[in-house]
Amino acid sequence: MDKKIVLPGDLVADKPVKLEGCFVENGKTYAAVVSVTQEDRTIPLKGRYLPNYGDYVVGIIKDERFSGYSVEINSPYEGQLSNRDTREEFRVGDVVLVKIMAVDEVNSAIVVEPRRLTGGEIIEIESVKVPRVIGRSGSMLAILRQYTETDVIVGKNGRIYLKGGNTVLATLAILKICREAHTSGLTDRMTAFLQNESKKVN
Amino acid sequence: MGSSANKPQLIVDGKRISGRGPMDLRNLKITAGVLKKANGSAMIEWGNNRVLAAVYGPREVFPKHTTDPRKALIHARYVMAPFSSAEEHGRSGPNRRSIEISKVAKHVFENNVLVNQFPKTMINIDMEVLQSDGGTRVAAITAASVALVDAGIPVRDLVQGVSIGKVDGMQVADLDKNEDNYGESDMPAIVSLRTGEILLYQMDGKLTRPEVDNALSMIFEGAKKVREKQVEALRAKYETDVAPQE
Repeated sequence: MDKKIVLPGDLVADKPVKLEGCFVENGKTYAAVVSVTQEDRTIPLKGRYLPNYGDYVVGIIKDERFSGYSVEINSPYEGQLSNRDTREEFRVGDVVLVKIMAVDEVNSAIVVEPRRLTGGEIIEIESVKVPRVIGRSGSMLAILRQYTETDVIVGKNGRIYLKGGNTVLATLAILKICREAHTSGLTDRMTAFLQNESKKVN
Repeated sequence: MGSSANKPQLIVDGKRISGRGPMDLRNLKITAGVLKKANGSAMIEWGNNRVLAAVYGPREVFPKHTTDPRKALIHARYVMAPFSSAEEHGRSGPNRRSIEISKVAKHVFENNVLVNQFPKTMINIDMEVLQSDGGTRVAAITAASVALVDAGIPVRDLVQGVSIGKVDGMQVADLDKNEDNYGESDMPAIVSLRTGEILLYQMDGKLTRPEVDNALSMIFEGAKKVREKQVEALRAKYETDVAPQE
């Protein structure tokens, strides 16, 4: 089936269904954000990251308290990291990879398993495009790593940490993925792009 | 309102002072995503009106004690640039009139945004009037609705509006400055076409009951045209995302 763009207020389904970026009113489902619909799925094209149980996100230590840390996770909501869950000490501005352990009804998140990330660089993309950067079972990430020899850590919140290798090429490639996120056959095109560009460098 | 002494002839041979028919809107163009640092933005060019709308958020509430644990707060700010109008508007910054418009715009979006999805946050909607020629409040809110969608904030519908008034005894749509100043009545409204709801409804001057009924149907008719432009603006920005594969 064709991909179709829907705008807020457009009818998506005649019956109440739970879809991403949609709402139900009078037994019908309408789009609430700009999305792409394909078969019985909607994919929002834009939107801020909301913490979700089990996600790995790249955060920045924002505040240090007696009992732990506040972690900025590129979202309207913060993550809380308790001293009980880590033996390490952090300072404001440190970059950490954390796992979201719990999210309450007002979206406050408890994060655990911090892993300090040092010496690399961070880029930020739309969180809705993260699945394309990862690819089906990590295929896109694999080719990124293969051609750029960069360590790529992708947070579900749209923050990507790059270290080593050709980070410039990796950044260009990721931005290209985001621009063309909703076209099909992207992995093949990215392979061609990376092959081409990495030749130029050598 | 302007003094009646230098009132121009507003209707000549059934045509308006601008050469339009009663239901004709001025030229309207909307561009989505004009600002880089805002989460969402839109520029509206409506006749001689120019309004820039920017949306920031949802983000942490400031001042913090106003936080609502059940919903997102909407902060709307409508301001006119000091150079926006032919008449002297004095200093920049909010005045009595723009505080009122900010308030009614806030109420429009409180009923439009799905605020319950973002507890403990706030959404800032800034509407900056760069050039004004009558009907800036509907222009600003129309642009702000596009900016909200551009920001990826969930809303119930695109909202839009038009002002309907009465000049020289004739009911007309989309009044410009002259018609607003020298006409008998001006009634701006913002509607949601999907539900038929009216989200903003104000009136200056006098209208009879049948005239109000007629004005309401004119508003919905005008809003359809405005919505087309909003959809055009958003499609222009997002359609490229789903372009067919090479």
